[in-house]
Amino acid sequence: MPGRDRQSPLDWLFYATVALATGLFAWTINVVFLQAPVEKTMGIVQKIFYFHVPSAYCMYVGATDCFVGSAAYLIRPTPARDALARAGGELAVVFGAIVLTSGPLWAAKAWGVYWTWDPRLTTSLLSVLIYVAYLVLRAFGGDGEGERKFAAALGILGAANLPIIHYSVQKWSGQHPTVITSKGGGLHHPAMHLALGLSFTAFTLFAIAILWARVRVELARSRLLRAEEDAVDLGLDDRAEA
Amino acid sequence: MIQDTSSGAATQNPQRTPDDRSTSFQAVEGGGETRSGTALMVEAYAVIWTILLVYLVLLWRKQASINRRIDGLEAAIDRVAKKKPQ
Repeated sequence: MPGRDRQSPLDWLFYATVALATGLFAWTINVVFLQAPVEKTMGIVQKIFYFHVPSAYCMYVGATDCFVGSAAYLIRPTPARDALARAGGELAVVFGAIVLTSGPLWAAKAWGVYWTWDPRLTTSLLSVLIYVAYLVLRAFGGDGEGERKFAAALGILGAANLPIIHYSVQKWSGQHPTVITSKGGGLHHPAMHLALGLSFTAFTLFAIAILWARVRVELARSRLLRAEEDAVDLGLDDRAEA
Repeated sequence: MIQDTSSGAATQNPQRTPDDRSTSFQAVEGGGETRSGTALMVEAYAVIWTILLVYLVLLWRKQASINRRIDGLEAAIDRVAKKKPQ
């Protein structure tokens, strides 16, 4: 097909984002392991923090994206809005899984137990389970208009838990630390600040790149599905020929 | 008082006998320090990169599946185009 493989400026922007995220990850790893000092009471296990917190932030990004796509889809259903919601749901589960595995590994050292029913841990687990349910619904619940709208409602419902996760520490106390606060935070070394800042930037770019790639794949799948249906109707498809 | 058992101290105190060395290990009762922090950190980073890698592989496979279906569709179009009289 003529022009099919031509790269658009958006493609180059995508590649630039991926390259920048990769470079920033390399720099982050360097700063985290070679420059940032070991924490006084927790020791080296505190370095999990530099990837755990940005992962939690990316989970929020995915969940917010799912909410925006779902709400927009309910207002006016389009394949792009549905793809945005679906990609956001996947992102929330991927980064939620990272949060729920890296956190307990840190807690094993800091608290002496892998898991405790702390408000933030419990609400985070609940949120990830909601998005797992969302993806299961998308995978096995069919791809009709009704199913998509039902999934969009679940995508909106899932976002309702996000502020609860965030404010659970302030509202119900618990054991989970609150190092990053509006009053400046608890990182007292410049290299610690740099490590966290770089990690946040790298994870943000990486999340954008994944989201972008996933939306494109989903849109391509949606277009292909329509083209296959048209092909069957016109007698072009293998199934019609057989 | 903490006893210095380093080799330097042993050289300065020739009166010490092999029986002065520790002959048993005592567990800290009630402590939660059962895992190495380094091992936990390595495990955490391994898990993070594994999850991301698995997701990227799944995404790549999804894209590859779409490409295969597009190829099938194009082949069907080509077959019909060849059959069609010019």
